[in-house]
Amino acid sequence: MKRFIAHEELARDSRFTRQTTALSSLIAQLPDDVNAVVALFEKFAPLIEKSTRGTSAEALYDAYGPGFGLVTNTQALKPGDPATETRLKLRMHGIYVGELQALEGAGRSLWDFPDAPWEFKMNMARQCWDEARHVQIYEKLLEHVGGTPGMFPESTFLFECACADDPALRVAGVNRGLEGLACDVFRDMIRYAEEVGDEKMRQAIDYVLADELTHVRFGSDWVREFCKNDPERLQRANDYRKQVDKQFNFGGARSEKKDSAIPIAFEDRREAGFTEEELSELVGLCGEGPSRETMREAARVLRERHRVRKAEQAGAKS
Amino acid sequence: MSERLYPGYGRDERTTFAPYGAFEVPADLRELFGRYDVEAMARRVRNFRYAEEWTMMVLGGWMATIPEVPVKTGLGKIVWDGAQGADALGKRLPELRCGRKAVDASEAANDGFAKLVQALAEPETPDLTIEKLAGVFDVLKPHLLAVYERTMRETDQITDAPTIELLEDIARRTRKHVAWGDEVLDRLCDTDGKRERRRRRVAELRTQLEACGGVTGTLADEQGRAH
Repeated sequence: MKRFIAHEELARDSRFTRQTTALSSLIAQLPDDVNAVVALFEKFAPLIEKSTRGTSAEALYDAYGPGFGLVTNTQALKPGDPATETRLKLRMHGIYVGELQALEGAGRSLWDFPDAPWEFKMNMARQCWDEARHVQIYEKLLEHVGGTPGMFPESTFLFECACADDPALRVAGVNRGLEGLACDVFRDMIRYAEEVGDEKMRQAIDYVLADELTHVRFGSDWVREFCKNDPERLQRANDYRKQVDKQFNFGGARSEKKDSAIPIAFEDRREAGFTEEELSELVGLCGEGPSRETMREAARVLRERHRVRKAEQAGAKS
Repeated sequence: MSERLYPGYGRDERTTFAPYGAFEVPADLRELFGRYDVEAMARRVRNFRYAEEWTMMVLGGWMATIPEVPVKTGLGKIVWDGAQGADALGKRLPELRCGRKAVDASEAANDGFAKLVQALAEPETPDLTIEKLAGVFDVLKPHLLAVYERTMRETDQITDAPTIELLEDIARRTRKHVAWGDEVLDRLCDTDGKRERRRRRVAELRTQLEACGGVTGTLADEQGRAH
């Protein structure tokens, strides 16, 4: 078995389809400009449409066009909002496949770095068990909200952007970037579960969040250990984590604002070992790239254009 | 004479408590002497640790290339069990005079066993779940279980009790892994063609296992002794 695999090589059963990961990476580099966002989504529209075919996202594409992901990602989960059911399924499915990729990432860390210290292997092995349970938990929660695995296309960009060849960068990306994002998303899911009185969801995610704090600590400890006496490597690890954080902002969906789609879970992150300096950096990174307002406006423009195109196609047929 | 609670220096200054041998209460019929001395057991523990550590690493690598979700999640727990087993074995090594830093020492019994592990790890693509699992759960783990059980029986039950204790725990988990693997493989091998793939893979690796003498390199001796 070779060491280091590409995200395209992640094995899935026949229920799953893939979603292009290029879009997620490119969004993080865009300026705060509606036209730039619209142009990017239109360029990728054929690929986006293709990946939605035969999944529950097909109806969303039909209604909103290639920007359907912006409509769902940039809004908070609100009880009573008619779009919340779809939004919740999309988010739950995104977390489910994210946990699958986290399991695969932790497992690959065992194989990719055979000469790593034993304690590192112990931590990664423990993470394998935790992530495996998280996959099982989120499969049940997905069913609990009326969803099924594979109902939406899977973006493998978590695995792609977090799995580096250097173990210091790998734990910086996976354990601090990806698991840090999990802290933010899960705290928000707990908030939603409390608002709707869903005790099953609240309790399950609360346990998962506790595990994630442990995984972030693994990351904090190992970045320190791997980069001991090597300031350049530490710089590379920190830069890598920032790059991952930037890509996980989902176009302004995550921010320090309480009404954002994914508020930063400051308290959980502090408990997990993030420093005040790192938290300030994260807030700064969330302010970079297109804002949530820009994304909403881009989503509106994309929807309008999609409707016009559909009407034209219908007219041509008749 | 008053009853003495503690012995004094003179012949008539003994306590009055009744005498018992170390194994009389309750009766213990175990006898001293086992098949392995300290050095031999330390070597075995390093061999076992090698097998547990590498199996755990191989299974970790495979989770990304196996498409069946329940297999991925099942392996997650088995990887953690394997790591705990390797960790416990490593912690025994300093107790067997291997030095304080020996806790992460693993050693293949010979090149043949190291090559067997590499052969086990060979299947890569998503269409080879049967070959991946058959190697570990039909061949290696049942072999390890048999060797652990034999080692527990044959080592000195009193002097080497700490090794027995930790092997009991690893064997208990390994039994569960073998049962899980068997159930999963039975389910996956639902056609004659797939059953044949499983059989062929097992035969191929078992031959290699026997040729290298297994995890300790002494399989032929031990089997001969058993017969």
